Amino acid sequence: MKICALIRMVPDLVEELEIDENGTEIYPSMYIANERDEQAVEEAIILKEKHGGTVEVVGIADDEVSTEIDEPLAMAIAKGADKAMKVNLSRPTYKRAELAKALAEFLKEREYDLILTGIQAIDGFAGMLGPMLATYMGLPYIGNVVYAELKDDHLLVRKELEGGVIGEYKVKLPAVIGIVSAEKPPRFVPFAKLRQAMKSAEIEEFDLDVPEIEGLEVERYYEPPKPEIVLIEGEPEEVAEKLIEVMKEIGVL
Amino acid sequence: MKDVMVVADVMENEIQEITFEMLGKAKELAQETGGSVVTVLIGNKLDGLVSNLGASDTVIYVEDEKLENFTPEFYRRVLSKVIEKVNPKIIMVGNTAFGTDLAGLVAAELDIPMVTSCMNLALRDGDILATSMAYGGKVLVDLVAKERGMFVINRGSFSSDAGKVEGSPNVEKLSPADLGVSLEDSIEFVGYIKPEVEDVDISKAEIVVAVGRGIGDESNIELAEELAEVLGGVVAGSRPVIDQGWLPRTRQVGRSGKTVAGKLYLALGISGATEHVEGVKAKNVIAVNTDPSAPIFRISRVGAVVDVLELLPVLIDKISEAKSG
Amino acid sequence: MRMDADSSMQDTYFERLSEIPNSDKYRQCLQCGTCGGSCPYGIATPFTPRRMILAIRANIIDELLESGAQWLCTSCYTCSYRCPSKIPLTDGIIPALRELSLLEGNPPEELAAALVNIARYGNPFKESPRKRINWTKELDFEIKILSAKEKSTDVLFIPECFGAYHRRCKEVTKAMVEIFKILGVDFAILGNDERCIGDLTRLSGEFGLFEDLVEKNMKVMSKYEFNRVVTIDAHAYHALKHEYPKFGFDKPVYHHTQFLAENLETLKSMFNELDYTVTYHDACYVGRRNGIYDEPRNVIRAILGVKFVEMKRIRENALCCGGGGGGVWLDSFIKEHLQERPAEDRVREAAATGADVLVTSCILDIPMFEDALKVTGLEGQLVVKDISELVLEALK
Repeated sequence: MKICALIRMVPDLVEELEIDENGTEIYPSMYIANERDEQAVEEAIILKEKHGGTVEVVGIADDEVSTEIDEPLAMAIAKGADKAMKVNLSRPTYKRAELAKALAEFLKEREYDLILTGIQAIDGFAGMLGPMLATYMGLPYIGNVVYAELKDDHLLVRKELEGGVIGEYKVKLPAVIGIVSAEKPPRFVPFAKLRQAMKSAEIEEFDLDVPEIEGLEVERYYEPPKPEIVLIEGEPEEVAEKLIEVMKEIGVL
Repeated sequence: MKDVMVVADVMENEIQEITFEMLGKAKELAQETGGSVVTVLIGNKLDGLVSNLGASDTVIYVEDEKLENFTPEFYRRVLSKVIEKVNPKIIMVGNTAFGTDLAGLVAAELDIPMVTSCMNLALRDGDILATSMAYGGKVLVDLVAKERGMFVINRGSFSSDAGKVEGSPNVEKLSPADLGVSLEDSIEFVGYIKPEVEDVDISKAEIVVAVGRGIGDESNIELAEELAEVLGGVVAGSRPVIDQGWLPRTRQVGRSGKTVAGKLYLALGISGATEHVEGVKAKNVIAVNTDPSAPIFRISRVGAVVDVLELLPVLIDKISEAKSG
Repeated sequence: MRMDADSSMQDTYFERLSEIPNSDKYRQCLQCGTCGGSCPYGIATPFTPRRMILAIRANIIDELLESGAQWLCTSCYTCSYRCPSKIPLTDGIIPALRELSLLEGNPPEELAAALVNIARYGNPFKESPRKRINWTKELDFEIKILSAKEKSTDVLFIPECFGAYHRRCKEVTKAMVEIFKILGVDFAILGNDERCIGDLTRLSGEFGLFEDLVEKNMKVMSKYEFNRVVTIDAHAYHALKHEYPKFGFDKPVYHHTQFLAENLETLKSMFNELDYTVTYHDACYVGRRNGIYDEPRNVIRAILGVKFVEMKRIRENALCCGGGGGGVWLDSFIKEHLQERPAEDRVREAAATGADVLVTSCILDIPMFEDALKVTGLEGQLVVKDISELVLEALK
């Protein structure tokens, strides 16, 4: 099986996210690999270990994140990926449809049997990469997957539904799969091993043109209103009444 | 283009709550656009559910044996055709395992602008203004979809009251063939794997009632369980309670336990030690503790400085009243 | 990546072990069992240190790793201290085994997360490095932070990660800083450039990360002039005193108990009376590993009104709180193997002396013992204070 896993960088929320005065630009202080994409990379490696084949990891970079992506790519190599590639987008975009269209041709040429991507990212408010990519590539898609296994003529996947119920599906390859979590937690990579991978990993770079798709624009970014800390005291009756009000506000009652 | 479309989220012949939340909002939007609310119901043998969708003006019900269980490929083809047929201005889909697969597939196929994680929608000069919750809830994003859009709606964004109306909407029942949709599929549904009843995953629960040392004695856990039941939530505990053996380890919240991330976390008699708080990522925390300086209050929306054991029986009664009344 | 064969696992193991001084002493293991008999987890672990050496000799390291025994260690040093053959169990045998687990990619999750966070953010809590000195905002006076403008000081004070970020532990940091102020000490902190000193990473088998931390911390420290280091963190004390010099660090390092003892005459003249019955816990990396037993006792005894009582297991025989060696990040793993945590055993012992205050001197003791008090129901009976908190109380 020729597998591809996609990695995106997202703002690291441990650090402050600044919004400019007009609310039109957002300035992260630090970037980190998208957690769900890391799960996708892990699942790709697990599938390789189970069934053989190759894993190629494609990191998505642009002006804002050009070198930060090197570490997660090296991490993937340290875990067992065969090849790391970096696509440099002609311009950053928050629109997943634009990103998906840009990637579709590039990935199609490489004829992967399976493309894995995380189902969500904290900056994924405009569209969704997995299903859009699948559509532009003319491939089937299923998301929220937590397990995959190669059978004779299909990939058996388990999709997490609501209430802890899992749905099992047979997927004909080639396909795009959206991973929510790998079948095992991402393995640990010792610091020295990662450093070594960063020094020795050869990352092939490609330029990718990002098309413009009209119809959706961000008007502004802003912080949600902050709730005040409210302390209630008094008799249980009174307190209970007030708590019920709050629960109604929250929407649980 | 004036109609507002709601894609019904159905699981095992039950309409999910999110559908009613979307319907309520859809009605409001349709009034403004001057269009009608069209609910799309896809499945098999779901005729009985139509009357629950009374908040809609029209229900388009696409039925086929092969549609009995959700499969992305088949459903996306059906939904695309229905959208082409109705040409709605607004399409609302729930932020669920079902909705998130469908929305992206259809939006890409039909070139419809798509916004995820929506918590609000409004109309403005023929365009649609959507508010999305992004960056882990730290930033809200207002987006403008030109003339039409597909919106993936977060659970709990809108009240379901306005959407829960009995009625007899105009029903259009179709078969896939009517829509020109082929039956061959690249994704086939195999079956469901259901969890064992005992295995509650508190990290997936919307409402968690957690107890700490302040609950006093093992016998008082019952009260917490009653409260959880009446709220439709699950019981969890901080580490000391788990260590005592009062609750199984699968119910532990904190650095050494699970992380809760649902709508409400009720912290009863929990001090809020760093190790515990690391596991609390719920959207709203209500804490009860006799110590006003307990650190748990720092992460609470509301704190009650009162004895847990005195409060619980009263709270349980009042909630039962509120729910039945 | 999975290990290919036992022999390569064995090779990797011995390669690392050879870098630890005196590691070949394992060949002189008498199989006497003193280590296992002394170990706080001795009754719970599938492989005591004695059996670990047997396993290594028999080349069944994979079985040993699968049992997880390498994680049932709190680096308390009791085994190493008592070993008649002086085998470096704590510094060598066990960390090298842990490294193999790390290479396999499956250490206990909580610890794995702590290590990843230290590598990325310089602290195990996943807190921003820019918030490392936020505790200083809670003081009602300014303190010197070394920077391009302020390059020199007499004492470099190191709070370490728990002392900086942990809600309870930063009270100790603040207490110590107030004592410095009262004594008129010329001290400063490194500011947000301070990273985890790293003893936990070394003991967890993350040798690569430890080296990186040493490198980064020494680079930051080399920008400034200071005469000595004082720290409230016993593991930071140990690493700075014994490990950092291997990389060229050459400044004197003091634990805060030593500093307090050094200034005892001055402090004595300012002490008020305190009405406590106090017992003192000899933290592993203050006492057993570094021989600091009398200094803290002298300081406590110097406070008027304090009645001092000793526990049964004291000095080199003290029972570890269970927090060291990554223990503070291995709680759920350890709890699967044990009924009672060492910390719970220890607070019961403390309470049995009749004391109402348990004084500690290693920062990790505080969260470990305060949790244990909750679990054992001794919360009302006993409080935990760091020695600096006791001293400050006597000064006020």
